[in-house]
Amino acid sequence: MNETTNLPVLEKLTYKDFAPDQDVKWCPGCGDYSILKQVQGIFPELGKRKEEFVFISGIGCSSRFPYYMDTYGMHSIHGRATAIAAGLKASRPDLDIWIVTGDGDAMSIGGNHLIHTLRKNFNLNILMFNNEIYGLTKGQYSPTSHVGLVTKSTPFGSIDEPFNPAELALGAKSTFFARSLDRDPKHMKEILLEAHDHKGTSFVEIYQNCPVFNDGTFFIYSEKGTKKEESLYLEEGKPLIFGENNSKGIKFDGFKPVVVDLTDGKNSVNDLWIHDKRDRIKATILASFANGNNGTHLPRPFGIFYSIDKPTYEETMLHQIEEVTNKKGKPKLDDILSGDKTWVIA
Amino acid sequence: METKLMKGNEALAEAAIQAGCDAYFGYPITPQSEVLEYLAREIPKYSTKEHIRVVLQAESEIASINMVYGAAGAGFRVMTSSSSPGISLMQEGISYIAGAELPCLIVNVNRAGPGLGTIQPGQGDYFQATKGGGHGDYKLIVLAPSSVQEMADFVFLGFDLADKYRNPVMILSDGAIGQMMEKVTFGKYNVHKTEKPWATTGKPESRGRNYITSLHIQPEKLEVHNLKLIEKYKEIEKNEVRYEEIMTEDAEYIFVAYGLSARICHKAAIIAREKGIKAGMFRPVTLFPFPSKRLNELAETAKLFLTAELNSGQMVEDVRLAVNGKVNVEFYGRLGGMVPNPEEIVNKLENLISKENVS
Ligand SMILES: Cc1ncc(C[n+]2csc(CCOP(=O)(O)OP(=O)(O)O)c2C)c(N)n1
Ligand code: SF4
Ligand SMILES: [Mg+2]
Repeated sequence: MNETTNLPVLEKLTYKDFAPDQDVKWCPGCGDYSILKQVQGIFPELGKRKEEFVFISGIGCSSRFPYYMDTYGMHSIHGRATAIAAGLKASRPDLDIWIVTGDGDAMSIGGNHLIHTLRKNFNLNILMFNNEIYGLTKGQYSPTSHVGLVTKSTPFGSIDEPFNPAELALGAKSTFFARSLDRDPKHMKEILLEAHDHKGTSFVEIYQNCPVFNDGTFFIYSEKGTKKEESLYLEEGKPLIFGENNSKGIKFDGFKPVVVDLTDGKNSVNDLWIHDKRDRIKATILASFANGNNGTHLPRPFGIFYSIDKPTYEETMLHQIEEVTNKKGKPKLDDILSGDKTWVIA
Repeated sequence: METKLMKGNEALAEAAIQAGCDAYFGYPITPQSEVLEYLAREIPKYSTKEHIRVVLQAESEIASINMVYGAAGAGFRVMTSSSSPGISLMQEGISYIAGAELPCLIVNVNRAGPGLGTIQPGQGDYFQATKGGGHGDYKLIVLAPSSVQEMADFVFLGFDLADKYRNPVMILSDGAIGQMMEKVTFGKYNVHKTEKPWATTGKPESRGRNYITSLHIQPEKLEVHNLKLIEKYKEIEKNEVRYEEIMTEDAEYIFVAYGLSARICHKAAIIAREKGIKAGMFRPVTLFPFPSKRLNELAETAKLFLTAELNSGQMVEDVRLAVNGKVNVEFYGRLGGMVPNPEEIVNKLENLISKENVS
């Protein structure tokens, strides 16, 4: 174990060091390109050697990611990246592990492994590219596709209630949840760095446009005409403000979030909800914004919804071994062989 | 009668509708997603309040096969389809369904593996399909289409056999047969209604209690159940063997191949004949039950069998068992989604013949 940790850190790397000479095989205009660029961009800032990183993915367009990062990588099984990463992290806690997955890979076939990996809280990072569609298999609906979406497998519109990834993560006891989008590289970069800083499993949902099979689903959160009204950027310790000229805010009416106008003199910034990423209840309410709460139209939050410190699985595991060893002592092989815990096979 | 130009996968899906398939559960995977997509588009047209016919994209192949388990338990004509990696995921469910003796149709549009492999055609799932695949002692009836027409025909046949024997049936196709376009004719098919007194349809006074289960915890009871299954498989072996022979009457050299490989070997046999080699082709249509008896008969007169497969040699083992040393059985395989041309196979045969003459 820990072969890499004692090695000297090499000279400063640049994003080019993380970009292998591979042809990137995504469709022209795919949102995945912008995510790749940001990820390659932050890696030199993480201050580690390339061989300390591992990218693990399942199957999907998004899951081609490990080919495009010049680190160790595993392009694994549809839906299983989270379990495979858990296996690797448990045996090599020193490695810096990044899972890249899609909405289908993570939440459909991989839903089971996802929730259990989240709850175990290994120190690793999950990036879920959500395009609300199956890209690789050419356009069937996914568990995040909205009701009514016409796809190849739902020719008359989807009738399933989709998952809300934020609610799912919180329900699975995730210790970190954030949302960003392909068309806001600056924000994505900040979020990626924070996700990496988080000790425990960080789960980042990245809205990603699939121009071929589900074009424009998230454009209202990035296009000039609608972005200000439709997106809400969360900042720790700051009030929830959005809208043209920051003219709107969110305040609580009991437990119900409501939109208030900051220009009509009735409400001031002091009345607003202050973002606290350690507050699980607030995080849960933020997560529910995407559901269209009780018919109220709320902006879509971007940023870190929730982040708490909790011992990681690998820490607790090592701690337990240490504790038991302290209590029982470490037996020598001779003692075991000559001890009384032997039996005869008749 | 209606003749259409269709993709293999679509012909299969259309046949499912005409064969009275009540429910289809599946998950997208190349090269068979057209089955799900075709049915999603077409089945609702035939669904009524009184007779619901459903198509559902499951969250995985594990879910698909278990949905099949549920609907089959209710006595519905039910089907799933996938390609190799997805079929691997279904093995647990298939074992339980076989143990619980429920009829259903499972379609594998085989791609080359192992693992994710490629989306190009392969025949590497022969062992998995014919030797059980999941755990425990059981058999599927396995039908191997080698044309778009058979993709359709075997759906009708498959549903009927499944009902007749209360056993899961697998259509083992491949990426090429699934994707190719050919003419296909649909005749008039009357949906056979089979009594299913075991189904979970509610229990009238007249009916005894019935559990659908594969659990028989007492070894004595499980053994009885196992023996009953074995009896059934013997019945199937007696009644349901199907094969095709091309120019075998006077053949000295016989290609043995199924599915896509059989199409290629058919051409190879013609080319060989043009070269003056007395070649023929034998095509197992049912992979279980395997046409061992007929192969054994042919081994009396033939000089050599050449088995060609898109794998590293799977069916060839059954061919060797069938002829039991009576004749030399050689093998030619291509892997990785590579498909041989007929000339390649004829070359292989010529090499074998010249070796034979030398020794
Ligand atoms: C067991 C199995 N079933 C199905 C597939 C086919 N398959 C590959 S990727 C995929 C869905 C991809 O969707 P998503 O995870 O949303 O990724 P995207 O392509 O949209 O990035 C499916 C169904 C597979 N590879 N393995
Ligand atoms: S299909 Fe969609 S998600 Fe996949 S590469 Fe093309 S644009 Fe991107
Ligand atoms: Mg997707």
